[in-house]
Amino acid sequence: MANGTVAAKLPSAQEILEPSASSLLLKRVFGHAGMTIGGGVLLFIFLIAILAPLLAPHDPFDQDLSKRFLDPVWGAKGTWLHPLGTDGFGRDYLSRMMFGAQTSLLIGFAAMLISGVIGTALGVAAGYFGGRVDMIITFIITTRLAMPVILVALVVVALIGSSLNIVIWVLGLLIWDRFAVVMRATTQQVRSMDYIAAAKALGCSTTRIIFTEIMPNVANALIVVATLEVAHAVLLEAALSFLGLGVQPPTPSWGLMISEGKGMMFFKAWVIAIPGFALFMLVLCINLMGDGIRDVTAPENRN
Amino acid sequence: MKRTIMTAAAVAAAVSMGASDAMAGKADDTLNWSTTREVDVALPFYNNVREMVIMQRHTWDNLLYRDTKTFEYKPLLATSFKWVNNKTLEFKIRKGVKFHNGASFSADDVVKTYNHVSSKDSGVLTKRNVSWIDHAEKVDADTVRVHLKKTFPAALEFVSGPMAIFPKDIWATARKDAKGKPDYGTVAAIGTGPYKTVKIVSGESVQMEKNTNYWKGSPKGQPSIGKINFRTVADPEAQIAELLSGSLDWIWDVPKDKAEELKLIGINNVMNVPTMRISYLTMDRAGRAGKGKDNPFYNKKVRRAIAHAIDRGAIAKEMVGGASQVIHSACFPTQFGCTQDVPQYNYDPAKSKKLLAEAGYPNGFTTDIFAYRQREFTEAVMGYLAKVGIKSSLKYMQYKALRGLVWEGKAPFHHMTWGSYSMNDVSAITSHFFQGKRDDYCRDADVTKWLAEGDSNVDPKVRKEAYKKALTRLQENVCWLPMFTYAKYYAFTHDLDFNPTADEIPRFFTAKWK
Repeated sequence: MANGTVAAKLPSAQEILEPSASSLLLKRVFGHAGMTIGGGVLLFIFLIAILAPLLAPHDPFDQDLSKRFLDPVWGAKGTWLHPLGTDGFGRDYLSRMMFGAQTSLLIGFAAMLISGVIGTALGVAAGYFGGRVDMIITFIITTRLAMPVILVALVVVALIGSSLNIVIWVLGLLIWDRFAVVMRATTQQVRSMDYIAAAKALGCSTTRIIFTEIMPNVANALIVVATLEVAHAVLLEAALSFLGLGVQPPTPSWGLMISEGKGMMFFKAWVIAIPGFALFMLVLCINLMGDGIRDVTAPENRN
Repeated sequence: MKRTIMTAAAVAAAVSMGASDAMAGKADDTLNWSTTREVDVALPFYNNVREMVIMQRHTWDNLLYRDTKTFEYKPLLATSFKWVNNKTLEFKIRKGVKFHNGASFSADDVVKTYNHVSSKDSGVLTKRNVSWIDHAEKVDADTVRVHLKKTFPAALEFVSGPMAIFPKDIWATARKDAKGKPDYGTVAAIGTGPYKTVKIVSGESVQMEKNTNYWKGSPKGQPSIGKINFRTVADPEAQIAELLSGSLDWIWDVPKDKAEELKLIGINNVMNVPTMRISYLTMDRAGRAGKGKDNPFYNKKVRRAIAHAIDRGAIAKEMVGGASQVIHSACFPTQFGCTQDVPQYNYDPAKSKKLLAEAGYPNGFTTDIFAYRQREFTEAVMGYLAKVGIKSSLKYMQYKALRGLVWEGKAPFHHMTWGSYSMNDVSAITSHFFQGKRDDYCRDADVTKWLAEGDSNVDPKVRKEAYKKALTRLQENVCWLPMFTYAKYYAFTHDLDFNPTADEIPRFFTAKWK
């Protein structure tokens, strides 16, 4: 029990050393333009995705062939009934954009979680234990890095069929490499810290050291990688859907909407411009968030 | 303004996509046409893509020519023909016609062609085109008899269709493969037709030149345009860009929305023409994929519910094009023996829901739908099914792969199309599907019997009656829901005087520059 008491007191000792940490953090967050903008837009997209069933003006699946390819409200024949127009099946584009945000974010976060768990477990194990464990895990990472992600994803999806769940799992099982590489390197740094030695000296179990000493200290890097991987997964989903092997119609997905609109590119550019812009904004904002989190939590790493 | 921007964008796109051909068309008397498909072998019998069917009519002639308007059989390389009996056709051979290589056309060429392609090791791709021929014999210098294997009323359709006539010596020039087996697809493209094939770049392009010595008085008329070049442009968007920039003069298979926008821009002529291809939805009445709750299509009420759930008229009008029409029986309306006087299923979602509830699916069910062509049409069908509660997930695949699944009985619900090889006879479609074999998900013994009756009889009245019984029963069973006929959009330069035909075979030898 004595060990636990000491360990639990450690953070509070740090707090005493840096009394203004939280206010400093808030100041940094709001002083960081990229993070404020990125976070703001991301929050907006999040809210739209979550509230899509309440906000969407129409059922995103409701087709009406007599209303195909209506212009958005700024177009020649646009109406407020369909502010972003309709697609090739007369379905409301705005509603599909909203539900498409759900799909993109769901895939992005779910794939990030899966890959995060795999990558972190491997990376931390390699970094902490070193030696033979490190050798084997490094080999696995190198093997994974040697595989072209999009190609493998295409093959797997083509072989076993595509659905939302399959896309999530395929991406999740493919993009853990960055987690593993970064976690391994940061764990190696943290491992040699005095407080780890102290924890070991106090007789803490390996599990305890990893979860209470290592993890909190590699969390910054983890969050940054996680945001990047969300963006990565969103883009990969769009690419797969564009190639017809991602989310299957009629599920709304931005990548799929770009793919479906491709044919009308010369005539009705808005059909691909709208989902294209949304995808661009989403990925840009996630990246801005990632940069922001890195800058704010560990300004010394800024380059 | 809109037009200028659009053209500029298209030209820029065409240039960036690597369109290397100089501006062609009327100015240098060259018609450039394109499709998305590749032509690797440019020889009839040894390639069965639609592009080859088209090229065949240009470089080769047949014994007979079917008039595109009256559907009459007119003499072409034959001067006359007659049925000697149910299984023998006799042709009088035309004199004074020359092949592109200078050789004179004679009865021997006809006999050799018919006997070569119908022989066992000819390697002809579409067996159905030649399997009706037993053998051909020369009666005298200008008479040839073709003996059929059995009574086959549609024979003239084949004589005037796929049966192109080659010079008799050509087959001996075939290159041999490693085992010493001749590959007949390698012989020179020589015929008597209005255009000579002058250059073939496998998979890329085929170039033709006007045959200035084409025989006078041919029902095909005299060729007018100097050169006709085919080029594969795999990307449909690139095709449109090239059409707008002028490096292509003629394309087809343009989707309706794009065709309508092209019409608005006004640089090209845009036409919507009906074709013999029809769209259909198969539902597993035979229970080939199971007879339990996991195969809802085994239940007739479900099949009827689906027939009432889909607004076929809206798909035809809004998505396929103005020339598309809804059909109610398992054939193309102009085909011999086809009738629309069969049980029909109108669009009635309320009735559909009621039927589903009666069938034990008040909340609908989930199913796979298989398709291979015009994905958007199938998606529209899925949209209508969703409205009555049937959630379908699309299994969209290449034709060959899907055909395999269909044959194995693993596709209880599929949306496909059939073009009848452009043949104007019910035997080319209904009899193909309902023989109780691999394509048949209805498996009604009476239907199979009636169709066989219609196929093997020469009396038109008997045939019509037999086909009507079969077509009616098929619709009572609702196992094969005919959807709509296809209509093709053509887009071509205003300089071109071109008349499309319903058989999906553009005849550039009748085209002229304006």
